[in-house]
Amino acid sequence: MEKSSAIAQRGRRISLSLEHIILNIAIWFGLYLIVSLSLNIEYGFGGIPNFGRALAVLMGAVAVGALVNRALMALFGINGDIIVASGEVKRVMNDLILQNPLIGVGFLLVVLTVAALAGAVTGALLILPSARLSEDYLAITLLAISEVFFMISYYHPDIIGGYYGTSVPDIFAWAPSEWRIVLFALLVIVTAAAIYILLDRILTSPYGRLLKAMREDETVVRVCGRDVMWIRVRTVALGSAVAAIAGALYSLYTLNVIATSFGRVEWTFYPFLMILLGGVGNKRGVLLGTFLFVLIKILLTTYKYELRDLFRLSFETVWLEYIIFGILMLLILLYRPEGMIKEEPILTEPMKVCVKRRR
Amino acid sequence: MITVIEGAVVYSNLLALLAIGLTLTYITTGVANFAQGSFAVFGSYVTLSLLRLFDVHPYYALPIAFTAGGLLGVGAYILILRPLIKRGAASVILMIATLALDLVLLGIIGAYAGFLGNISGKGATKFIFTPFDSEILGISGIFLISILVIILLIAVLLFLLYRTNFGIALRASMENPSLAVIMGVNLEYTRLFSWFLSGSLATLAGSLLPFRQEIVPSTGAIIIVSIFAASIVGGLSNIYGALIGGYVIGLSESLVTYELSTILGSGVLLYGKVISLVILCLVLILAPQGLAGVRWRRVLRLHKGGGG
Repeated sequence: MEKSSAIAQRGRRISLSLEHIILNIAIWFGLYLIVSLSLNIEYGFGGIPNFGRALAVLMGAVAVGALVNRALMALFGINGDIIVASGEVKRVMNDLILQNPLIGVGFLLVVLTVAALAGAVTGALLILPSARLSEDYLAITLLAISEVFFMISYYHPDIIGGYYGTSVPDIFAWAPSEWRIVLFALLVIVTAAAIYILLDRILTSPYGRLLKAMREDETVVRVCGRDVMWIRVRTVALGSAVAAIAGALYSLYTLNVIATSFGRVEWTFYPFLMILLGGVGNKRGVLLGTFLFVLIKILLTTYKYELRDLFRLSFETVWLEYIIFGILMLLILLYRPEGMIKEEPILTEPMKVCVKRRR
Repeated sequence: MITVIEGAVVYSNLLALLAIGLTLTYITTGVANFAQGSFAVFGSYVTLSLLRLFDVHPYYALPIAFTAGGLLGVGAYILILRPLIKRGAASVILMIATLALDLVLLGIIGAYAGFLGNISGKGATKFIFTPFDSEILGISGIFLISILVIILLIAVLLFLLYRTNFGIALRASMENPSLAVIMGVNLEYTRLFSWFLSGSLATLAGSLLPFRQEIVPSTGAIIIVSIFAASIVGGLSNIYGALIGGYVIGLSESLVTYELSTILGSGVLLYGKVISLVILCLVLILAPQGLAGVRWRRVLRLHKGGGG
């Protein structure tokens, strides 16, 4: 008894260490930034209420757990059900990556590509009902589709192992275990930064202004001879591809894929909270909103035992997290609907020159 | 088989209550309430608390649950939705607000379940009321009670809507709000009333739901798909449509999965919600106005014309 409590004490001290907190914030900031950026294209710029964001993230994880794992099973000639066989695949792959780290890099690139493709296809199919539905119906339908797919992948053991989940190879199998989290933080941050820059380039192009025009008034866009449906399909496919990358990275980080990690609250509601907190349709707002959200979330999870002792809570702190973030969202909607940073017009190159001259 | 049908009817009755509530607030305030499922679970916990702490039988707790739910609905409207509607917030923002409310409720219910478990000495994160149900003439009590509730509700609604001045004002403000305002109807009363009724119907359904299935704090997130499917099948514009939608979704979710399970094995039973989703999509493609919006006479005439 004493020994186990001593171990628990030590475990708590490790998890409370500053480096660990910072690394955790970095990883979650990167992951959530990717998702909130993806939602910002669709909702912030395009005005599409994608209440099924979690589905694209889940698809990224399914791409790793179901598609890539099965391809590797075929490659190595491993048979059996996905739950056991993925463990075997993980063992073989980890050995290979240990011998040659480049295989890990190749594996990462393959995984991200497959995830992005799976996300894009899912997104393009998901948005098709919008051709006939008004905004309300669309939001409800997307949420229902996302929720049902979540349930299927949780109950059905043949997709990603149901409630057992599937294993995922470790792309940093060659690194010592204490370096793994550092390498991952770097990987996630670099990926998020690349996506940030790429999306910024895409959204400052005429396409970004087209999206904002669609958000404000679809009829005007139609009058100008643009096909609104085609814009929507492209936008949601792009957004979902980006969100799927976050799902894939998360699976690579946790080394397994299990449907329960991809719920509606974590990957649909929280991203909406982040972009509404920071400011809809503006990149700096998304950056700030995501950072503040992750900071609160990580501090809450890190100090959950202290919080429980301090307030003598007799329940799990996850409920407290839900209450806090739900109320935060309501406060934003009621008192600061424009978010922390207000939306600015898109500065194109000629406009930047004009602004400079004015100054 | 009899018990399966009995269970399906009970479930449909409760789903109809939830869908009627959802449709009602959608008609009067234009809010698609994603918290309707959590309203129901709130009702389940009100009833559970009365049972555990004061030894009140769930059936006798119904009036209290009804009132508590009504207050919850009115509170949600006054504190959150009315200010947003006054500001002219987009419908997506209203939906996000109800999602946030749903999350707050989920958090409070989850925390409360832990608390209730501690003070009553019995776990409250998972519970079921079936041991408290009694049989009358070989028919389960919940079957009779849920049917009684539906009949009572329809009778009261019919009387209220067609025999009172308030009902006429209510119908007017549902069908043509701006004209109703011109005629001197105060929309605020009808909105408050609809939120009260919506909340109380949801908690009523929630108090009876543990007689049919196990309740956990997150049950709301699972049944919301069925509630929306039922409301959309009903057309989201008509209370009777919601009633029909409740039965269409409730019966097919239970009976179709049961039939499929006899062919494909019991694994299918988990996928009841897939049936709801398929019906939802079919209705949206074939009759976007919902079943109540279809002009059945015209369909029949077309059919006859095609046949003859």
